[in-house]
Amino acid sequence: MALTGRAGLVAAVGIVVVLFAPQPGAALAGVCLLLAAAIVVDLVFAGAVQPLRFHRSGDTLVRLGQQATIELVVENPGRRRVRGLLRDAWPPSAGVHPRVAELDVPAGERRKIIVTLTPTRRGDRSSVAITVRSRGPLGLAARQGNHQAPWTVRVLPPFLSRKHLPSRLARLRELDGQHPALVRGQGTEFDSLREYVVGDDVRSIDWRATARRHDVVVRTWRPERDRRVLIVLDTGRTSAGRVGAAPIPMAGAEAGGGLFLRPDPRPAPGWPRLDWSMDAALLLAALAARAGDQVDFLAHDRAVRAWVSGASRTELLSSLVNVMAPIEAELVEADSQGMVAAILSRAKRRCLVVLLTDLNPAAMDEGLMPVLPQLSSRHLVLVAGVSDPSVAAMSGRRGSADEVYDAAAAEQAQLGRRRITARLRRHGVEVVDAPPDDIAPALADAYLALKAAGRL
Amino acid sequence: MSVAAPQSPPGQSYPTSPTARSAWRSSRMIVLLGGLVVLIAVLGVLLGPAPAPARYLDPDDTSLSGSKALAELLRDRGVTVDRVDSVEAAAAKAATGNRLLLVTDTTYVDELALARIPGDRVIVGGVLGLEALAPGVRTEPEQARTRSREPECALPAATAAGSAYLGGLSLRGPSGATACYPAGDGHTLVSFPYASGVITVVGDGGFMTNQRLAEDGNAALALNLIGTGKPVTWLVRPATPPPLDLPGERGKSMYDLMPGNIRWAVYMAIIAVIVTAFWRGRRLGPVVTEKLPVIVRASETVEGRGRLYRARRARERAADALRAGTIDRLTPRLGLASGAGRHEIVAALAARTGQDAQQVGAALYGPPPADDAGLVGLAGYLDFMERQISEL
Repeated sequence: MALTGRAGLVAAVGIVVVLFAPQPGAALAGVCLLLAAAIVVDLVFAGAVQPLRFHRSGDTLVRLGQQATIELVVENPGRRRVRGLLRDAWPPSAGVHPRVAELDVPAGERRKIIVTLTPTRRGDRSSVAITVRSRGPLGLAARQGNHQAPWTVRVLPPFLSRKHLPSRLARLRELDGQHPALVRGQGTEFDSLREYVVGDDVRSIDWRATARRHDVVVRTWRPERDRRVLIVLDTGRTSAGRVGAAPIPMAGAEAGGGLFLRPDPRPAPGWPRLDWSMDAALLLAALAARAGDQVDFLAHDRAVRAWVSGASRTELLSSLVNVMAPIEAELVEADSQGMVAAILSRAKRRCLVVLLTDLNPAAMDEGLMPVLPQLSSRHLVLVAGVSDPSVAAMSGRRGSADEVYDAAAAEQAQLGRRRITARLRRHGVEVVDAPPDDIAPALADAYLALKAAGRL
Repeated sequence: MSVAAPQSPPGQSYPTSPTARSAWRSSRMIVLLGGLVVLIAVLGVLLGPAPAPARYLDPDDTSLSGSKALAELLRDRGVTVDRVDSVEAAAAKAATGNRLLLVTDTTYVDELALARIPGDRVIVGGVLGLEALAPGVRTEPEQARTRSREPECALPAATAAGSAYLGGLSLRGPSGATACYPAGDGHTLVSFPYASGVITVVGDGGFMTNQRLAEDGNAALALNLIGTGKPVTWLVRPATPPPLDLPGERGKSMYDLMPGNIRWAVYMAIIAVIVTAFWRGRRLGPVVTEKLPVIVRASETVEGRGRLYRARRARERAADALRAGTIDRLTPRLGLASGAGRHEIVAALAARTGQDAQQVGAALYGPPPADDAGLVGLAGYLDFMERQISEL
């Protein structure tokens, strides 16, 4: 049950009536009884909420930053028209619109309501409840009830770095020798023999085949195919730190300061490292799949959080974004030993292990560095870390003594990062350290360089 | 109050609000128990004895702060004690003969009318209108602590009683007054003759209460002061305060002038507010909560370290970090290996920039700056050298 503003208005009018009535006591009783009777009548003749039925249809997947549309059909099998308000309740970060819709369903009919979701966060968003407030004929009181019509929308990572994909694919075709510019294919894997044409590198002439035939024959090469790439995402505490500027407004990425808080003068906290890493992982996976490599994916902090293996080329990206969607950074120290064990048990053959983590000297020293040799002895390891542009900006400040102290702290942090990078390189590990906007293309370039060098 | 969600195929809805019947079934025990508690409480209040509130210094009150014991002692000695709670009653009593007026409270009393009543007067505690009731008596701004005090005066009533539990107002009597029980600069008992009788002011009435009467010389002091043989008019605070409607110029109070409808309109307004509150207060559906990921800036540790440097003025560490960063960046640009010694670096840098080797060495490996200005200067010089190298 609920009252409406009209009931309050009637009661307010009652004040005037009582004020000027010759018998105020009787007038008060009369007004109250009249109002109570009208409310009871309204409640009795309001359309019943309990028997309503709801059917949903529409999107179940949406990329972060885009809009999902869900159709909600309200069916009224009752005997009375249901007129009033409908609220489809979703978690706040689902960005539901409209919050409250007008509803008017005659008896025995059905009406469709379009609900759009503009999520501000990755993950699964489930509808919580549908609340209907059905007004009576007088508009003084309403019946109210909740329904449950389960529906879940999975919000996928946005894969913003796909804009870099065409240029990297062009580079890949160059490597493959399929480029129209007729550049000799680089690579180390023997592809086929063909007749020599003027312009071919004489070093690639296959003399044995030439001797067997009456023509000069050259070998053609192509980059290795069917190599394995294992992308490992560290979802431990270091991946929760927010860096950069959010390309898509995300829950918590706006400048701080609520109703009662002073607005935070510092820049908005941006995206977590995890989301930038996912973006880079998606670009690398798309590229590697086109290059004919087999891509596997592992997310790990203290336990395996996600594992994708053996996905076909066409399925790969969709299954990756699907498993990535619900992953959030856990506020625990990542278990590097467990991670390495998980990698070793899953990757039997030699493969390229791309480890997306933070190049945090303290965490690395205690976690990854001691166990890295186990990994790098069997696999080619590439460590990619998202650097923080605000630290770089801090290290350049010289305005006052306070800023110089900040700059010294930033310098200290960057120095630690460079040292850990140098140590990793000494272990034969490739390192990509780039700010959030560049991490995806930088990782893709590093992959292409490895491929061109035939190191996969 | 949610009912268990029935298993239904996806896309199918089901109501989750309890029906009237299921709501009654799930909450009837609570409702019945609540009703029982309310019933017992109401019956207990209706049937139980009404506890009278303690009335301070009331001759009819037997509680710790009452004074029934003193009144009974006075009656035993043949002193008539009449309890009154208004000026009119006190004046009527005074008309019957020479009496002693004991004033314990003047909150609801016109003190000027009270001051016109002739005869002896004993004023207990800081009553309102003390200036009118005891002309010439001034009170010290500081209150005296209530404790056992010695009389130290020539007043027979006090010397006979000895030490008593006194305090409260610290008083100064007019010239010719007898002052007893000193406290600070003043006294807690002042007695002086005035017009038709003797006025006695006591700083605190604690010694007359049932609780304190048996201690010290309290009872003796009270009997000596009040039990002079004259009948006592004992003025107390009335149980119900007199109505506050002060009549206006034509003898009508504000309430008399107000139309009778106003009161009913106020009742109606209260009802209207309640109805409006129900309208605004009813939520359309549940409050939806969500577990949000933590929002933590990655640069917070760096900022924190900077603040620590700042707080401790850690110039040495700050300078070391800045120097190490510069050396780290310059070594490859100077064509040196990463493990190059300091002399090599200084020599190469001095040669490339044309700066004095001594100065370059001091900037890169010298003692830490002496003050913040020195640190800023060092940072500027390091920047300058880096710029020079990168511009070459």
